[in-house]
Amino acid sequence: MTGLPFLFANPALLAALIALPVIWWLLRMTPPKPAAEVFPPLRILASVLKREETPSKSPWWLTLLRMLMAAAVILAIADPVVNPRQNTLATGGPLAIVVDNSWATATDWEQRVDAVSTLIDDAEARDLAVSIAFTGDRQHDATPGSAATARNRLAAAAPIPLAVDRGQAIAALKTAFEGTKPGTLAFVSDGIEATDQKTMAALAEVGAAELRLIEADGSRTVALTDTSNGSTGMSVTATRLRKDGALTLPIVAYDTRGRAIADGQVAFAAGDGVAKGSIEAPFELRNDFARIGIENAATAGSVHLLDDGFRRRRVALLSGEARDLSQPLLSPLYYINRALAPYADLVQPHETDLAVAIPELLEQKPSVLIMADIGRLPEEIYPKLSKWIDNGGMLIRFAGPRLAAAPADDPLVPVTLRQGERALGGALSWSEPQPLADYPANSPFAGMARPNDILVKRQVLAEPTADLAERTWASLADGTPLVTTSARGAGRIILFHVSAEATWSNLPISGDFVEMLRRSVQLSRGGGVANEGKAQQQTLAPYRLLNADGVLVAETGNARPLDVIPGKAPVATAENPPGLYGSEDGFTALNLLPRNAELQPIDMTAAGAHTVQQLAGSESWSLKPALFTLALLLLLVDALIVLFLGGAFSRPRAAKAMTAALLLAASAFLVSPPDVLADDSRPEDAAILERLDTTHLAYVVTGESEVDRLSDRGLMGLTDFLTYRTTLEPGTPVGLDIAKDELSFYPIIYWPVSASAPMPSPQAVSRIDAYMRAGGTVLFDTRDQFSSLGAASGGTSPNTERLQAILANLDIPPLEPVPTDHVLTKAFYLLSNFPGRYTGSPLWIEAQLDNREEASNRPARSGDGVTPIMITGNDFAGAWAVDANGIALLPTVPPDEMQREYAFRSGVNIMMYMLTGNYKADQVHVPALLERLGQ
Amino acid sequence: MASIGHIVARTPAGEVLSRAQQRAMLVPDCLVEARRIANTVISGWHGRRKRGIGENFWQFRPYSDGESLSRIDWRRSARDDHTYVRDREWEAAHTIWLWADLSPSMMYKSTLGSVSKESRALVLMLALAEILARSGERIGCPGVMEPISARNAAERLATAIMLSPLAEGLPETGMIRSASDLVLIGDFLDPTDRIMERLGPLARRGLRGHVVEIADPAEEVFPYAGRTEFSDPETGQKLTAGRAEILREDYQRAYLARRESLGVTLRHLGWTFTPHRTDRPASEALVAVHMYLSGMPGRAPHGGQL
Repeated sequence: MTGLPFLFANPALLAALIALPVIWWLLRMTPPKPAAEVFPPLRILASVLKREETPSKSPWWLTLLRMLMAAAVILAIADPVVNPRQNTLATGGPLAIVVDNSWATATDWEQRVDAVSTLIDDAEARDLAVSIAFTGDRQHDATPGSAATARNRLAAAAPIPLAVDRGQAIAALKTAFEGTKPGTLAFVSDGIEATDQKTMAALAEVGAAELRLIEADGSRTVALTDTSNGSTGMSVTATRLRKDGALTLPIVAYDTRGRAIADGQVAFAAGDGVAKGSIEAPFELRNDFARIGIENAATAGSVHLLDDGFRRRRVALLSGEARDLSQPLLSPLYYINRALAPYADLVQPHETDLAVAIPELLEQKPSVLIMADIGRLPEEIYPKLSKWIDNGGMLIRFAGPRLAAAPADDPLVPVTLRQGERALGGALSWSEPQPLADYPANSPFAGMARPNDILVKRQVLAEPTADLAERTWASLADGTPLVTTSARGAGRIILFHVSAEATWSNLPISGDFVEMLRRSVQLSRGGGVANEGKAQQQTLAPYRLLNADGVLVAETGNARPLDVIPGKAPVATAENPPGLYGSEDGFTALNLLPRNAELQPIDMTAAGAHTVQQLAGSESWSLKPALFTLALLLLLVDALIVLFLGGAFSRPRAAKAMTAALLLAASAFLVSPPDVLADDSRPEDAAILERLDTTHLAYVVTGESEVDRLSDRGLMGLTDFLTYRTTLEPGTPVGLDIAKDELSFYPIIYWPVSASAPMPSPQAVSRIDAYMRAGGTVLFDTRDQFSSLGAASGGTSPNTERLQAILANLDIPPLEPVPTDHVLTKAFYLLSNFPGRYTGSPLWIEAQLDNREEASNRPARSGDGVTPIMITGNDFAGAWAVDANGIALLPTVPPDEMQREYAFRSGVNIMMYMLTGNYKADQVHVPALLERLGQ
Repeated sequence: MASIGHIVARTPAGEVLSRAQQRAMLVPDCLVEARRIANTVISGWHGRRKRGIGENFWQFRPYSDGESLSRIDWRRSARDDHTYVRDREWEAAHTIWLWADLSPSMMYKSTLGSVSKESRALVLMLALAEILARSGERIGCPGVMEPISARNAAERLATAIMLSPLAEGLPETGMIRSASDLVLIGDFLDPTDRIMERLGPLARRGLRGHVVEIADPAEEVFPYAGRTEFSDPETGQKLTAGRAEILREDYQRAYLARRESLGVTLRHLGWTFTPHRTDRPASEALVAVHMYLSGMPGRAPHGGQL
């Protein structure tokens, strides 16, 4: 090489540079000499010419710019070529060539072949024998032969989709040159050092007169090593050979047919060999990913194959709780949500009515359905759910008060449950809250350390059966199961015997909860670990293989079946080249580079004397286009300068036009058309707004005119009383057809149960269920306090039987009579009982389970939320009913006007409790607060 | 490209004189209409056929109230019951000062004009002198020649100019002593206010002026195009226009505005203003000035202006 890094193809043309001074002179002449004119009224002319004055000579820098332009054109015509090839071979012995044909050479294989051909040509010109060895071959023959033979072998060689092992090739070379020493040893390298090899040192040992390393710059040698599926996108790990300089590469995800369906990018920081990128795509799209590749990098290393294991599961969530929205930390779904959101895609129903919500969820084809504390489902749902589980769905259930109160014949639990729950620890128990035992070996949780900080205070118990131990995935230290499971058809039911919020145990706020849920959800995948985690060895036939260009081909060649040993990642070898193994139904991906692999450049420390040469073909390039481009750019700059000097941008009209154009462009962005809204009002909107403007009391229309009239007049009487005594001024009462009318406008619905009225349809009951789940309250009134007296011992009245029939289809929590310290007794008036037309029947409300150990000196218990159901037999409406003149319609039994007054007060308390919740319970702290404030 | 305008040598007075006489022959005798009586004792050649200061009787007319009693002709009044005043015929000769601007800017002739501005100005001046001398007026040239009343006044003016060239710019007014008429011929390219600084005092002294502006067509039309370097013949200042043709409109507007403002200002003084282009016959300006001097502007073509 000469001193200059480039040569001129036409050096004679450089003589034209002599013309530059002439051009300089010519350029200085411009602008042309003006015509001289004598003009007496020059003063007048001067007054209009002021703006037009131009210098008679162009400025020096403009001239310089034009000179540069001329010089660039002359140089471009002379055609400088950077890095021209000049080669000579040492003549001491045969030429030895070692050629890497690994995956990294696929992109520039043609150039490598050119480089080697040039070497062979040179050797032929000097009458040297040629020995050629390819490091990717399985057998090596490095014996020196004729140039023609070497050419044939070169033509037959091709890059392979594997990393190469150079040891054998170099050993063969050493054997071949046992007696003679090669003259020039050329190593056409891919630049990647194999693990624990010192290639250059080994080559130096061959003893060639000249050691020459020919390599590409390797800046495009990039490989994908790992992918993982995240919550919003798929993260991709890539490694590269050259660590200098920042590099950003586009990556593309392809589906099974090879269509690009998503893209992202990987950005290497300067000095980093490993980088992570991500492909943002919706979950459905990510499930279609079959292959991730670096765009425009056609090598086997730049492709990462995916199999089924990468798919995220869709998990549907259901809860029996009504209080999800306002108090998230009390909602079981909150913890499940937080635990699963990174691993799965969660869907929740839009409807609260389970009869609608569950089919809606199953429509979305979830892999897993999680039901937190749902005791009873609508009757018609059971067959649908069972069929879904049989088809491979996984149902995960959590216990809770509702499940504990559910009847024992629930078909959707894995083990038979005892009714009610077991409390560990407490005033009446010697037992202590229990920690967890070690996870059984047959459990998918096996391998997780036994958590010591988890304590279970309350659980539901399984009836002991013979196979209970097999079905248990986790148990407490005393042996009672905590997680049980059973397979149903192709699917599975898993039951956590504790609730999914932190009231029964602290499991939901521990890390094990996340891991347990994640492993459970992992199980729902089709293939893989179906047999409860037992190790099993599989042998998979090659299905599609990756060729050196990173394309999947059906041709399997002499690839051998892949032995998949669980727990051990398969490695790509010559027998098992990278590709997909298995069949069309299920396959395992084998990738070229193992996870966490990094590309290392060749170790040059022990190389000895050698010359390094770039691949000539890749480096020899002409400067001509660049110079022409430079000249063109300079021309454009010159034109702009001339326009500027000529005042094209300062003339008022041009400036005005420019301003106008800018304003127009700006206004296009700033001025948006006025919002046009589609008229989506509906005819019933007025009625809905009327209902929402004021609170209305509501009752269920039973169909019996006398009952309905009394309900209407009774609620009217209560409305008047409320208006007179409290700040609440309800509107006129509303009669509801629960099968059709919208229920959610009303805080409470009064339901006088009548045995002679028609039984409500299952859909209507399901609507009531949804109404209660969404936070509404139904006040059932059987009005039979004294009629049931007749049946002395345990007899039930027809109304009560009807109520039981109705409640049989509702998912209701455990009930209790209003405790004396309940907030209902203090919501407005201080009450000890809740009489109606009759007295004596207790008012049943949802039981508050966990507050028993609270300090007894508190005057009121603070429950969370409002009871969804109230049941009484005292005939409230009968006591409240008044006619248009305010005269009571029915006498109380016994005839005591104080009892009617208390009946109204009960109604006021119930309404206040409905509208304020546990606010009154908090009010009991007012004396303490005032004391602290020092008043 | 040959330039449009160029500087010419000064025209010989003799040649101008002959041309002026030719012009003057085309113009009838000029009788200056004097609105203000020059109180002079020098009598003119012939009576003005109207009453005024003179020696010959003109008429008796009845005395009207307010007239000086000393003017009553008691001899005639004694003949009957009326009182008469004797009027005499006005025979005073009027002095007319002629002056032409011969500054370097006047030495200019373009291809569009037929003669240089200086030549045209001299011709006009001498022609006027010829005409007025024929009418018996007294002709003077401020700073050059005292007013004389002679038949060969034009020749003598030409001789005086030949001997002592006219001062540049505006005239020396030291010689002008009484109310008389002043004819100024030049290109008046100076700013209006500077011109009026000189002319204003003259007007206040009672002089009546007639200004003739001589312009070359090139100055008015501005027929230049392309890159042009303009130079001022008086100051030598140079000015280069990249594209002269785009200046034409602006220049014409400025040029005509200057002429307009000068004309208006002069008319406010009671003076007259006559623009004249060298591509037109000299007779046009001559007739116009003649009309003004004769007090008959209405009969001049183009309303008294060219």
